[in-house]
Amino acid sequence: METIYTDLLCIGAGLAGERVAVEAASAGFETICLSIVPPRRSHSSAAQGGMQASLGHCIMGKGDSPDVHFQDTVKGSDWGCDQEVARLFAETAPVAVREMAFWGIPWNRVVPGKDTYFKGGKQFEKEELKEKEGLITARSFGGTAKWRTCYTSDGTGHTLLYTMDNKVVELGVTVHDRIEAISLIHDGKTCIGAVARCLKTGKCRAYLARATLIATGGYGRIYRETTNAVINDGGGAIIAIDTEVVPLGNPEAIQFHPTGIVPTNILVTEGCRGDGGTLLDVNEERFMPEYEPEKEELASRDVVSRWMTHHIQKGLGVKSPYGDHLWLDIRHLGAEHIKTKLREVEEICNNFLGVDPITQLIPVRPAQHYSMAGIRTNKDGAAYGLKGLFSAGEAACWDMHGFNRLGGNSLAETIVAGKIVGEKIAESLKGYEVHFNTAVIKDAAAKDYERIDRLISCKDGKEDVFEVRNAMQNELMERVGIFRNGADLQKAVDNLQEIHARAKKVGLRSNGIGVNPELTLALKIQGMVRLAICTAYGALQRTESRGCHSREDYEARNDRDWLNRTLATWKEGDDLPTLNYEPASKVMEIPPGDRGYGVSKIISQDDEKIGV
Amino acid sequence: MGRKLKFNIFRYNPQDPDSVPHTDTFQLEETESMTLFIALTQIREEQDPSLQFDFCCRAGICGACAMIINGRPNLACKTLTDDLPAEITLMPLPIFKLIGDLSVDTGTWFREMNENVESWVHTSKTFDLEAEEERMDNSLAEEIYELERCVECGCCVAACGTANMREDFVGAVAMNRIARFMMDPRDQRTGSEYFEVIGTDEGIFGCMGLLGCEDVCPKQLPLQDQLGILRLKMGWSAIKHLFRIK
Amino acid sequence: MTIDITMYVRAPSRISAYLDWLQMLTGAGLILFMWSHMIMVSSVILGPGVMNALAEFLEEYYMAQVGGPIVAFIFLLHFVLAARKVPFRAEQQSTVWKLSRQLRHTDTWLWMIQAFTAMIILIMGSAHMWTVLSDFPITAAKSAARVQGGFWLVFYLILLPMVELHVGIGFYRIAVKWGFIRRKGRKGFKRFENILTAIFIVIGLVTLARFWFLALPK
Ligand SMILES: Cc1cc2nc3c(=O)[nH]c(=O)nc-3n(C[C@H](O)[C@H](O)[C@H](O)COP(=O)(O)OP(=O)(O)OC[C@H]3O[C@@H](n4cnc5c(N)ncnc54)[C@H](O)[C@@H]3O)c2cc1C
Ligand code: HEM
Ligand code: HEM
Ligand code: SF4
Ligand code: F3S
Ligand code: FES
Repeated sequence: METIYTDLLCIGAGLAGERVAVEAASAGFETICLSIVPPRRSHSSAAQGGMQASLGHCIMGKGDSPDVHFQDTVKGSDWGCDQEVARLFAETAPVAVREMAFWGIPWNRVVPGKDTYFKGGKQFEKEELKEKEGLITARSFGGTAKWRTCYTSDGTGHTLLYTMDNKVVELGVTVHDRIEAISLIHDGKTCIGAVARCLKTGKCRAYLARATLIATGGYGRIYRETTNAVINDGGGAIIAIDTEVVPLGNPEAIQFHPTGIVPTNILVTEGCRGDGGTLLDVNEERFMPEYEPEKEELASRDVVSRWMTHHIQKGLGVKSPYGDHLWLDIRHLGAEHIKTKLREVEEICNNFLGVDPITQLIPVRPAQHYSMAGIRTNKDGAAYGLKGLFSAGEAACWDMHGFNRLGGNSLAETIVAGKIVGEKIAESLKGYEVHFNTAVIKDAAAKDYERIDRLISCKDGKEDVFEVRNAMQNELMERVGIFRNGADLQKAVDNLQEIHARAKKVGLRSNGIGVNPELTLALKIQGMVRLAICTAYGALQRTESRGCHSREDYEARNDRDWLNRTLATWKEGDDLPTLNYEPASKVMEIPPGDRGYGVSKIISQDDEKIGV
Repeated sequence: MGRKLKFNIFRYNPQDPDSVPHTDTFQLEETESMTLFIALTQIREEQDPSLQFDFCCRAGICGACAMIINGRPNLACKTLTDDLPAEITLMPLPIFKLIGDLSVDTGTWFREMNENVESWVHTSKTFDLEAEEERMDNSLAEEIYELERCVECGCCVAACGTANMREDFVGAVAMNRIARFMMDPRDQRTGSEYFEVIGTDEGIFGCMGLLGCEDVCPKQLPLQDQLGILRLKMGWSAIKHLFRIK
Repeated sequence: MTIDITMYVRAPSRISAYLDWLQMLTGAGLILFMWSHMIMVSSVILGPGVMNALAEFLEEYYMAQVGGPIVAFIFLLHFVLAARKVPFRAEQQSTVWKLSRQLRHTDTWLWMIQAFTAMIILIMGSAHMWTVLSDFPITAAKSAARVQGGFWLVFYLILLPMVELHVGIGFYRIAVKWGFIRRKGRKGFKRFENILTAIFIVIGLVTLARFWFLALPK
């Protein structure tokens, strides 16, 4: 097997991976990034909204500070985050944004003068200050006290990623694109790199590194409906839990978005509802007022998603070849408003649905959106369980999001964490020597070759990989969605275990030669089902509602018993993960309290423990 | 709705010694709002799991899925079958190295392109952690963004006669990138530095104004305008040099 | 695998820029010439006397004697410059041919027409210039005699549309290539150019008809 040596191996070349690479390369370390797609196609490019940093230049952000940002983040997380990390994050975000400006982002800037904006379906006026002209401006995003989301029109993720990759090119960092890591090389104590499969030739290769970073993004594709890219199928998380020692933090913490279009689940912005759009059912009647008489369509993301699902389950969804959905209606906003303020929405509808939102209804339904879950690391980005292994970005559970990440906080996380973790990795690399144990490397390579052979020769069975994946996705979608309850979750765990058994029997239908896409998926399917089980099982055990994890049978947030973080590891041969728990945060700068929005049933820490 | 679609798809797996370039035909029932992303995924999962093609964002954002659709390069994910005839012919992008079937290696090409045009802000300043950011006019920021919207899909290159004939031609995408940095006050490169990169027959003076790029760009970048501006700018800078005008 | 980086080592030369200017300027010069040429030749429509007077005027001040060779030189220079862009290798030809057919894209087709007409113009234009310039002075009668001979009629019937197409497309192309016409104006300008080409072809045909029916002095 071809073997490549380097100081730092970044698995993933999205914003997080590349930001770490830039830091390490600037410190003089040889760095190689791996990516399934050319780096600029990583899913970071899909983020349109913006990233949060408390610059406070725009008038609606006046008085903002890292303190306020920190508070919003902790509240957003429903006190599930590590407050030390959230603090570090909020303090660093403004510098990170300015640094990106220095590197070339065309951030939108403050334009002095009067201007109108929409809030809760109504129009308001504001006036920007002359003395702030030309400084980075911000827009409003849900769950924030101030307008704090910096943006470049409708392509913030795109410009961030292009600028970051420009930096990577400038520094001459090596990027191997179309390479997929399929296992980590480790001896149970130290990680020394990864085995990867080349998606140009289908051949395997070993990368040996003194430090290895996993920055593979989210893994929404374990759900049937997700706003994530098709490559977001959990490769990074899988190779981590396959080590048996690296835990997944809060696997049950998954965020949904109310309005993905049907069939492709492309996200249409919340702005539609913010500006006065309504949701309709099969009879083209509004239903949100019935459930949420006060806020109607403008209730928070999770609440709206939840009622939408409920309404569909009541049989009031619209039937389609792609499953049931509801309608989003923005026709009454008028052509002019749609063509100016909601231009992207108009484009998405025209391009991907063949629907004209000015005269027609938009088919929507809730879709998985973000994994707060991820590889658990300490505040330096070092993964629990293995020396020499790090993680950052959506792939990691660093953990500043807890049980709900705020819109705009994840792009910010990628570059802030990238910067901090990059520095820490560079520090740790100084004078750090590892011994590349040839036996361990040979062993890892042999294991992967054997897996591939078995799949191609159908040694373990002839289960169809796509069918197994579909079964898994359906199970999660139907029983481990926005609305959760004990009975369904138990059923999901049981069914997923069966699916896990089927996943072990997958064999290829095609010949598996070269960059065979069937093989690519087959190599991951067992791991994907394990991630699914971790999600379902974690959710089953967590008998409370917190952030995005909402249990119908345990509606209150329970700080007495559950102010903690799930840590899931998977022992080879097991059918279920091993769950452990650690305190949510060592430091409690802000003690648990009311979020000020969403459901507010709380069992506080001092409440008496009832029974055990 | 309910049409039967016929797909003629170019097939070749260079890794398989038994494979020769040929066309395979697949039939598919058309469904509502079907995009080529849905259709191809369905074909792969139900008919031929070895079929290679690239999708990533499936939302017209990442540029991964460019291919030749009934003769024209476009993003497959934002192509509705409804806008196509019942017979659909799909081929990989030319110019880029073929990986297999509809999948080509754009990554290597674009990395090289970015290296050649030195696609980054050239500055002698160093970042000051404490200082406020440099101010910029919002309208200028938006103009830069307009050019930064390119998704490096390669459609403009595939549709360019010059690029098809001459391997060393940098393509409209590279010239658009240069135009983006020329507009950016943060980049301190001088006119003659830009000239070195792009004022050649591989660059702007190789472009014959075929405008295939302009007409196929799925992001509607103003390529015609930028190429025009660039040629005039580079042309003048050469004339000035001739007469030693500073 | 490592990414192979091919660096184009370029001496900071401005030769490409100068050649491109020259190509454009010779093209533009030829366009201007063809328009004047059109005025001169089609003046016969108004009567052979008008054309003769024009020709005499030009010769009297040696504009024809000097101008002729200059035009011939620009013609050649333009050919040499533009020929750099014409695909002479069979492989390149089949590539663009395939591309144009596949793409169904007017502007690419227009270029194909331009390159094709250029070849015809090169041969026929040279022959024409040789004939006219070696047989001074220019008079309506001589021209009419040539046209009525039959051979030259057919010759011009072929050359005329070739030239007008090439000139028309060349005009449009200069405008878009050098940014004189922007995205917004492109459609309108293309229309304008098509109409112009059509008008010139019609005038040319009328001129030829006039030559054909002109009574030859016995
Ligand atoms: C539609 C959408 C809109 C969003 N909008 C916003 C927004 O407005 N604001 C905001 O803050 N956040 C937003 N987010 C979230 C945010 O975009 C992501 O969380 C963030 O970009 C993730 O960055 P990353 O670097 O961690 O991962 P990614 O950008 O996903 O990068 C992952 C990288 O890992 C590589 N990779 C994956 N698996 C492997 C493997 N096995 N081997 C090798 N390489 C691998 C991939 O090729 C890729 O390069 C949005 C998300 C979505 C889906
Ligand atoms: C009276 C004769 C001619 C006239 C008026 C004329 C005019 C023009 C003009 C105006 C252009 C556009 C220039 C540009 O794009 O920069 C052009 C381009 C061109 N001409 Fe001619 N031309 C003539 C003869 C010829 C001949 C004899 C050839 C022989 C090869 C030729 C080959 C070309 C080619 C290939 C182009 C395209 C170049 C490009 O697009 O870069 N032309 N011509
Ligand atoms: C200085 C050079 C030229 C002179 C003096 C000249 C002169 C003439 C004259 C006198 C005629 C009338 C017909 C005849 O006498 O045979 C004519 C016709 C014509 N010439 Fe030229 N010519 C010149 C260059 C060119 C060039 C370079 C082209 C194009 C490549 C060209 C294209 C034509 C055509 C197409 C006609 C037919 C006229 C029509 O139908 O209107 N000529 N020219
Ligand atoms: S300029 Fe347009 S066509 Fe060319 S690569 Fe960029 S987005 Fe694609
Ligand atoms: S198609 Fe090619 S020739 Fe120029 S105008 Fe566009 S780059
Ligand atoms: S898949 Fe991203 S643009 Fe088509």
